[in-house]
Amino acid sequence: MRTVLTISMIVVGFALQITSYFFLAAPWNPLYSNPRVPFAPALFILGVMLVFLAAVVYELLPEKQVQ
Amino acid sequence: MTAVARYAMVIDLDRCTGCRACMMACKVENNTPEANFWMYVFRFEEGQYPNTHIWFMPRPCMHCDNPPCAKVCPVGARYKRLDGLVATDWDRCIGCRYCEVACPYGVNYFNWKKPSKNYYLDWQDEDVQKVTGGAVPPYRNPDLDQPYGVERRRTAGGGRLMGVIEKCTFCVHRVERGQQPACVQNCPLFALHFGDLDDPNSTVSQLLRRKPSFRLLEELGTEPRVYYVGGHPPSTESRQIEEVKARV
Amino acid sequence: MAEQQGTLPYGIGRFSARLFTLIAGLLLLVAWGLFAYSRQLLEGLVVTGLRDIGTMGGAAWGLYITFDVYFVGVSFAGITVAALIRLFHLDHLRPVSRMAEALTITALILAAFSVMADLGQPLRGFVNLFRYARPQSPFFGTFTLVIAGYLFASLVYLYLDGRRDAALLARRPSRLQGFYRLWAAGYRDTPAERARHDRVTLWLALAIVPLLVTAHSTLGFVFGIQSGRPGWYSTLQAPGFVVMAGVSGIGLLLIIAAIMRAILPEGERVHRGIFRWLGTLLLLLIVAYLYFMVAELLTTMYAGSRHETEISRSLLAGEFAWLFWGSVAGLVLGALVLSLRFLPASFQARIPTISPRWGMVLGIGALILIGLRALQGLDLFSPFSVTTARWLAWLAVALALIAFLLLLPFLTRNVVAAGVAAGILVNFAAIGKRVLLVVPSQTQGMLLPYGPGWYKPTWVEISIIVGLFALGILLYVLFFKIFPVMEVHPTEEGAE
Repeated sequence: MRTVLTISMIVVGFALQITSYFFLAAPWNPLYSNPRVPFAPALFILGVMLVFLAAVVYELLPEKQVQ
Repeated sequence: MTAVARYAMVIDLDRCTGCRACMMACKVENNTPEANFWMYVFRFEEGQYPNTHIWFMPRPCMHCDNPPCAKVCPVGARYKRLDGLVATDWDRCIGCRYCEVACPYGVNYFNWKKPSKNYYLDWQDEDVQKVTGGAVPPYRNPDLDQPYGVERRRTAGGGRLMGVIEKCTFCVHRVERGQQPACVQNCPLFALHFGDLDDPNSTVSQLLRRKPSFRLLEELGTEPRVYYVGGHPPSTESRQIEEVKARV
Repeated sequence: MAEQQGTLPYGIGRFSARLFTLIAGLLLLVAWGLFAYSRQLLEGLVVTGLRDIGTMGGAAWGLYITFDVYFVGVSFAGITVAALIRLFHLDHLRPVSRMAEALTITALILAAFSVMADLGQPLRGFVNLFRYARPQSPFFGTFTLVIAGYLFASLVYLYLDGRRDAALLARRPSRLQGFYRLWAAGYRDTPAERARHDRVTLWLALAIVPLLVTAHSTLGFVFGIQSGRPGWYSTLQAPGFVVMAGVSGIGLLLIIAAIMRAILPEGERVHRGIFRWLGTLLLLLIVAYLYFMVAELLTTMYAGSRHETEISRSLLAGEFAWLFWGSVAGLVLGALVLSLRFLPASFQARIPTISPRWGMVLGIGALILIGLRALQGLDLFSPFSVTTARWLAWLAVALALIAFLLLLPFLTRNVVAAGVAAGILVNFAAIGKRVLLVVPSQTQGMLLPYGPGWYKPTWVEISIIVGLFALGILLYVLFFKIFPVMEVHPTEEGAE
């Protein structure tokens, strides 16, 4: 359970980074100066933070208790 | 897709006498602050006395097709319009001056001072107020505060906001009304020309067809939109007659 | 022992008179820096020495960007040491691990403030960067990866790495017990948890290393991709940044480690092996950086464009020669000091023992003279004539060299002192090199014939930078007054 959550956080984090960078932020060409989605850079940073928070989740969540 | 113009400027170095009327016109039209020369005219001397040659080179912003300034702007305040003008949105600029250090031509100017102190006269100064009686002469061009372009961004004029970067706009507020930039309009010798490269009958297209032309620092790949005819690029021999170090 | 019950290790929670004086002094410097910044906010950046490139003959980027690059460079040390410990099982370096992590975090905070100080519209900058930042701009990487990503990752690492110590300290009653319990978040020191913790920190360190390389390289690319600035446009910028980051970071870490060793009662735990190991690493990094410098200079001097050669000439023999050769001296002498311990023992025994007192006195004298000369050069305090000022500078150089020679015997025998000396030398050299990176390409490197410019920082810039340093030291000191600077061993908890 904990492993699943950690791995999904990492995957979502990286996916968010890649999406924000290539698809949501301003296109590469200087003809386009607006991001496609507002606050796309904030989403990118969120993606980075998610990946590293996964480590916290992995360490902090308790083992599945065998009752 | 609607046809958008492809604006460019052609400067005839054979005609320029270095009178710098264009610099003054630009200043008045765009309300540029002290020591900011959006349009600047180099006065060069080559050779040794008595075999010297003096020539003059106006230098506006090049409005490059591959603009290093627009590429590095972190927030997209400096951007290239579809009609070719490279504009600065003073509403969005954060004043990092990255465009200024990235520009090979040195055309960017930063507002170092607050607006009341940014001009040649400090309207709040007591001695000045003895003359003006507290009134501020109507030097501001009201066209400059409007938004321009398809995206409706505030890209015209200068000096009104501390801590942002500005540069030559090809007088976007005039061009959008079908007029010529102030420097072009005011040149007494028709040394400056502005127009649409896509229009084969425009002055710029005709000049470029008739005379060989060059652009400044072409080897950098910036693809400037300012062409020079009837002269040569500054060489290692070219030195300025007087060094302008107008610092604020 | 009853009185041991309330005391925490490493001087946590204990504030001596000396410490209060230090904190007061630092707060004063921070307040002065804030005052200088308020002048800048009110009057605009005209209060700095920065001016437009081109017709104004100035430099648009100066001390703020210099120290932004410097602080990001210093942040290299933390995660590198942590990663080295985890990846190569260098357990003998563990005592400095947390010092290094805290250094990284402090340095990144200072770097962020440095950039904010440089912006003409800082509040707008803060909002607009989150809203509009463009990936095409190298600043995107600096903003998101360095300041947001790298800083966050280091905080996570510090947090996770500190859980065990927090749990151990939470066992005893103290004013900080609640804080420790919160930090520990239910950590139980079982072998299973320790194993999990080791695994997580290993992977975390592994993940941060590419982030670190990307972050420093992006900063290098801020300069390296600019074809319009001779001197900046170079493929070596990104690698050079990474190496120089290591030099300044490890150098500063050596100084901090020596201070901790000196002031903590448990200081012996920062053992000499650490200084030997870090010293060797620093030596290798210095040599690598000197190699990069030589390669770059040879290339531009042999066959550079007219502008690049002009910049290199101004570095080697022109306006910036004093700073260039001073920085080179700092690097070379730093490398020399670090290699002293490799001298054969028989040779070392033959070196006469000279008390370091003489060298330090002369060294301080040299620093005072250099300070006076600097104040004169910056137009902040100019009582001397030009000739006197020049003589002062050369006298300072002579004194510094004599001081260095007098200190050599002491540095040969004392690897801790050698580490500190090298750390000081290379950090001054790093600051000098950063200034040389940022300024000459703007003042001497114009591609259109505007003529050379000049840049002289004002009291506002210097005060803000000094204030930033004071803030960093303050944060660092205060943090280690509430959290242990080294790992808490079970035997240190108290009576058991």
